[in-house]
Amino acid sequence: MESIAHFLQNLPLILWLGSSDHAYPFVQLTHFGGLSLWVSTCLMLDIRLLGFGKKLLTPAKLLDSIFVWNWIGLAIAVTGGFTLFCIAAGNYIVNPAFEVKIYMILPVALLTHIFVQWKTREWGQTEETPMVAKLAGGFEFLLWMSVMTAAIWIPNY
Amino acid sequence: MAFCRWLENLPWVVELTGNAVQISLVWLFHFLGFILVVGTTAVVDLRILGLAGKQQNLTALAKFLFPWTWLGLFFVTVSGFLMFAGYAGQEYPAGVFWIKLGVFFLAVIVGVIVQKSAPRWDHMSAIPTSAKAIAVLSLVLWFGMILASVEVPAFIACI
Repeated sequence: MESIAHFLQNLPLILWLGSSDHAYPFVQLTHFGGLSLWVSTCLMLDIRLLGFGKKLLTPAKLLDSIFVWNWIGLAIAVTGGFTLFCIAAGNYIVNPAFEVKIYMILPVALLTHIFVQWKTREWGQTEETPMVAKLAGGFEFLLWMSVMTAAIWIPNY
Repeated sequence: MAFCRWLENLPWVVELTGNAVQISLVWLFHFLGFILVVGTTAVVDLRILGLAGKQQNLTALAKFLFPWTWLGLFFVTVSGFLMFAGYAGQEYPAGVFWIKLGVFFLAVIVGVIVQKSAPRWDHMSAIPTSAKAIAVLSLVLWFGMILASVEVPAFIACI
């Protein structure tokens, strides 16, 4: 793992991005911009499954509206996030908060989200959502809050 | 400037800024608010541009998303002030901090215009070009604000 981190960190493009005052903020913009799209669209679906805004649109209709940009947001966030990781890979691989985020909470949150999206077609055809949909939405909401908490905790190590 | 020094030396501000758990909680609300504001606004803007949920009624989508935009704005403002308070003396003279605030207020104004106008645009046979231009401006301003936001800590680290 250390040799991979060393290899990534010393790629010419990564060295340039890490040392450039102008390029580095754009890498951060990519990560945070993508996250804004990804996480907000995940949370909006969870919130709707929980029963908010039931008179306005069904969860299935909301999902249709956000589905493409939800996954585009993830692709943008991963691109920016992986680049940020490469810039300081040696530090990240020994950071406990990063490990908890990447290896534990994030995969669970991602799998939960895929399951929630898949089941929304079934749960979300009517205004009122079943109890299982509310529980799934609430659980996914908490998972994304946990991912954010772990991410915020990274600089403390 | 004296006000900034007074603010950052208030006992509760010193305690908040120096306590990793408390300041992380403030950061969590800042990120959550920020994600809610930028993400929900972007979805409405993309819908106006015809790039998202074309089959979905714009008014219903906007009415569902905008309350969360305002909640996000509340979180961002309160947590942002708490974060500013701890470094007020350093942030106040920083040009990039004022650029961030300026872009933020412009983005909020454009957001209010979008929120007020969305039902009217939705009743037209086609969404007008001026509405699409406003949506593009809104997207540029919010993503410009992210760029200014990431520059603020970098600026503080340099001084």
